[in-house]
Amino acid sequence: MRARIALLAYLAAIVLGTTVHEIEVLALGLVLVLALAGRDWVRILRRACIAILLFNLVVTLSYGVIAGLQGTFSLAFVVLVNLRVLLLTCLTFLFVSRVNAFEALAFSRSLTYLFTLAYSQSMAFKQALEDFRLAFKSRRIEQVGLRDRYRHSASMAVHFLDKSLHRATEITQVMRSRGFFDA
Amino acid sequence: MHIPDGFIAPQMYLPAYGVAAGFWAYGARRLRTALREEIIPRLAVLTAFCFVVMMVMVPLPGGTSAHATGIALLAIVFGVWTAFVSVSLVLLLQALLFGAGGVTSLALNALAMGLVGSAVARTSYLLLRRFHQGFALVAAGWLSVNVSALLIALALGVQPVIAHAEDGQPLFFPFGLSVTLPAVMIPHALIGIGEGVLTLLMFRLLSQRGWVARR
Repeated sequence: MRARIALLAYLAAIVLGTTVHEIEVLALGLVLVLALAGRDWVRILRRACIAILLFNLVVTLSYGVIAGLQGTFSLAFVVLVNLRVLLLTCLTFLFVSRVNAFEALAFSRSLTYLFTLAYSQSMAFKQALEDFRLAFKSRRIEQVGLRDRYRHSASMAVHFLDKSLHRATEITQVMRSRGFFDA
Repeated sequence: MHIPDGFIAPQMYLPAYGVAAGFWAYGARRLRTALREEIIPRLAVLTAFCFVVMMVMVPLPGGTSAHATGIALLAIVFGVWTAFVSVSLVLLLQALLFGAGGVTSLALNALAMGLVGSAVARTSYLLLRRFHQGFALVAAGWLSVNVSALLIALALGVQPVIAHAEDGQPLFFPFGLSVTLPAVMIPHALIGIGEGVLTLLMFRLLSQRGWVARR
């Protein structure tokens, strides 16, 4: 119940963050979110900055060039849009760090199961992808050709599918043995 | 091709949530009837596969990003509604865990990529496979990416019109259709080829594993 209430509060804050267009209010909101984050504020702010950096940089630079050429450049818009995106992203990371998202989103048992399983598989994929990347990097002494890169990617895909199917089947058997599918 | 958080006006994302909520409810009901014990792990694996494929994002000038999706594969193997729910889960995971895409743009991304992308992929595959299955798979991948990208480009491009200040300055995404259409569609025409090839190769792999019939 507490998770659901937190989810509703989070969604209300998100909507509020997109209906306010005053820079001062958005800045105040960001300070409030970081204050709520407590000792995690640096970590959350850092994560949010990294997450939005590429896209916002591309939008800001593109806007700077195009609006500059048209003579319509507005620094206030640049600050407004970047501040809003930063606020929304910090809010999301604060929500995820404080609330059990699986509990908050548990509207249906089957969906929750699928969500949990897909999440665990995604994290396993992500970790394995990074391991493969580092292994590939550490074992080459010269530039690798495109053909070898494709072959490496294909091998990874086969590995991911086989290993994950095996693990997912194991999880299903565990769930079955505990009566998940009996209801 | 995700739209990030904060670039879509509430005038668009709130109605999009209203539309998507209906489709999510219907999709979840369809999913419950389709879920069998052996389907769940396979669906979870392909959902995770989409997650990883979508994580490899290349930002584009004009504010969006390019990446393969794996959505055509999901739609062809499991059907449109299952693919829609799965892709929505992937988008939700990405938004919550990595700040990729976003919560405000989730419904719009899910409708464009998960629903329309899946429907286009599945329909084109069913129509074309009688002529040549390999071509049908590549075409399904290409079409799913490009039709979704077109919808995303349209959604972004109308932002300056639907949400601007009194002096005409945009409040959300700053570029009109003359920028978003070429900026999004030209790279996706190439990315679609990669998506098509990915769909073909993964389908063949799944056929070898006995997940799907070859015809």
